[in-house]
Amino acid sequence: MGVKIALAGNPNSGKTTLFNALTGSNQFVGNWPGVTVEKKEGKWKGNKDVIIMDLPGIYSLSPYTLEEVVSRTYLITERPDVILNIVDGTNLERNLYLSTQLMELGIPVIMAINMMDIVEKNGDRIDTVALGKKLGCEVIEISALKGNGIQEAVERAVAVAQNKDVSVSVHKFRVEVEAYLESIEAMLDTTIPEVQKRFYAIKLFERDDKIAEQMSRLPNVESIVAEAEEALDDDAESVITNERYHYISSIITGVYTKANKEQLTTSDKIDRIVTNRWLALPIFAAVMWLVYYVSVSTVGTFVTDWTNDVLFGEIIPPAIESVLVSIHCADWLQGLILDGIMAGVGAVLGFVPQMLVLFIFLAFLESCGYMARVAFIMDRIFRKFGLSGKSFIPMLIGSGCGVPGIMASRTIENDRDRKMTIMTTTFIPCGAKMPIIGLIAGALFGGASWVAPSAYFVGIAAIICSGVILKKTKLFAGDPAPFVMELPTYHWPTVGNVLRSMWERGWSFIKKAGTIILLSTILVWFTSNFGVVNGSFGMVEDLSDGFLATIGNAFAWIFTPLGWGDWRAAVAAITGLVAKENVVGTFGILYGYVEVAEEGEEIWGTLAGSFTAVAAYSFLVFNLLCAPCFAAIGAIKREMNSAKWTWFAIGYQTFLAYAVSLCIYQFGTWFTTGQFGLGVIVAMLIVAGFLYLLFRPYKESNSLRINVSSITAQKVKA
Amino acid sequence: MLGFIRENLSTIIVGMIVLAIVILAIRSIYKDKKSGKSSCGGNCASCGACGCGSGLHPPKQN
Repeated sequence: MGVKIALAGNPNSGKTTLFNALTGSNQFVGNWPGVTVEKKEGKWKGNKDVIIMDLPGIYSLSPYTLEEVVSRTYLITERPDVILNIVDGTNLERNLYLSTQLMELGIPVIMAINMMDIVEKNGDRIDTVALGKKLGCEVIEISALKGNGIQEAVERAVAVAQNKDVSVSVHKFRVEVEAYLESIEAMLDTTIPEVQKRFYAIKLFERDDKIAEQMSRLPNVESIVAEAEEALDDDAESVITNERYHYISSIITGVYTKANKEQLTTSDKIDRIVTNRWLALPIFAAVMWLVYYVSVSTVGTFVTDWTNDVLFGEIIPPAIESVLVSIHCADWLQGLILDGIMAGVGAVLGFVPQMLVLFIFLAFLESCGYMARVAFIMDRIFRKFGLSGKSFIPMLIGSGCGVPGIMASRTIENDRDRKMTIMTTTFIPCGAKMPIIGLIAGALFGGASWVAPSAYFVGIAAIICSGVILKKTKLFAGDPAPFVMELPTYHWPTVGNVLRSMWERGWSFIKKAGTIILLSTILVWFTSNFGVVNGSFGMVEDLSDGFLATIGNAFAWIFTPLGWGDWRAAVAAITGLVAKENVVGTFGILYGYVEVAEEGEEIWGTLAGSFTAVAAYSFLVFNLLCAPCFAAIGAIKREMNSAKWTWFAIGYQTFLAYAVSLCIYQFGTWFTTGQFGLGVIVAMLIVAGFLYLLFRPYKESNSLRINVSSITAQKVKA
Repeated sequence: MLGFIRENLSTIIVGMIVLAIVILAIRSIYKDKKSGKSSCGGNCASCGACGCGSGLHPPKQN
């Protein structure tokens, strides 16, 4: 018979690492709290009958956050056979707060104290035997990262579950408090199992309004709670919190010995520099500059150049062409395969090495704990214009893909902050925009080191400026919600974790090149190579006679003030709505990627010839800031849950992109060539309007809408 | 008819291969869409980019 084990513990206590080690799963592990927001199920490698459930990290079983609701609902309604409580040994006291609540659920608990290697390294000591006796449950030392003790922990959990030993020892609070709890327990009917009565009594005592959803009949305990509050001179929830900490303090004495109480840990020492009031931002800017510079302009370029010039230039296309010619394949089909599919898909795949290098860096920064600090650093800036550091988490996630980035905004309870975060998250360049950055930096700027990092900082600047401007409108006015986040200890990420993360991100792009990009390139090739010439339909000699050119020319005038009013650039920007890589794929087809390569010229030579540097940068910025791909627009629509807000978000993004690109091109051209015209005057007016919106007085709003219930209800339903 | 097929056999075969690839690509997109994944594997588990495991799936439409 199967056994169900639930992994429960504080955020960043190592549950997902343990889950991966036990199930052989490939769930991503990040060194910041909140990596798991939904539960995940897997089978134990040692026995497929044992199901392991990885629950989101939580500090308590209160119903205040999405993670807590997901974990609590699962534990109460599904009732796993045993709870494997993962406790961070370096933060024992705080972790035990949740343990005391888990033990009230009437489910057997096995405690696994994780990060014991770090505890020992710090010279601290935890007497697990004594702790187990005091808590009334088995305590096992583990190191999930190194794999020490984890099999034993599961074996013990399975044994406890099979013994069906539900007699979990429950701690007692002060006599007075216990008396109130007993009175409430007596009011509970038989639909509540005996072993869960204490849990329900405490929740009712705490006035936990969400617990009613789990009960068929809700007793009126208000008089008891009110009496207790008056007698104990504190609110009911604080009474229970205090009782728990009293209890934890009482058991921890003699069990936990800290070696260096006053000394700073290595993490603290690093944080003194990295999160320093003055140094934090320059360090962050330097780190991100280095990441993008190395990814796009050095290591990444070397491999990408080889992929573009040799693999997709000299090896694959000539080989396919010789096969097609030798079997006398029709010219149009050769054209489709070589000038369409190979040129389009090959152009996108050529940038995968740069993406992989970038993903290695991002995975390293996430896993070592630095990115959690960035959220803390950004909180200080974000707060000034009304967003909290919590909004940075979706943006951090959005640097991989905008879709999960937008979805991550669900954890922001404040409705207006959430909407603003959704609107601005896609300004951060996602992985799919990487080929555009690489192409512009490489082909138009000769690999200049500043181009790629500047793309990231343009994104950050767009978020900050949008925040300031939007916050001064009635729709978004109000103080930001408080942001509390535990900064995890720095640690060296495992090579496996970093490579796994890189591969999973990279693979989704390779897969996308073989599906959406492939279909798009076929469509682009057909529409660009067929058209009506002299009244007859057929294949065209010159692409500017094709259907696509006709469509492109209808839109191109819109982009003329931005410096790239050519139909090919207009078409590329529009096809980017399907997937951002399509911009590069479309250029590959329309600028004759393969033909140029075969002639041995510089791969993107014709493209470089049709753009000025200023126009190219304007094109890059427009594509970075404008409406995201359809998948991300769909995510915006789901999260906004309103067509009006979705259109507002897309309209705002596109308008901002247009205005910024116009200013870049007009001012850039004015400064570089001295040409002054109507465009520059319009750009000046835009800057004046922008500065007015940026610096106009702030009007305070007194209304704040919190949307916890709808979000959580939606999540639980899902 | 047979003569046409014989004359264009290589084009027909290559065309069929391209068509098969296109059908497979459409099938893959359709399957991903049905299972709630986006083009970037936006279900987080396959994206990994999010760093949030398999969490944050969009609500399933029943």
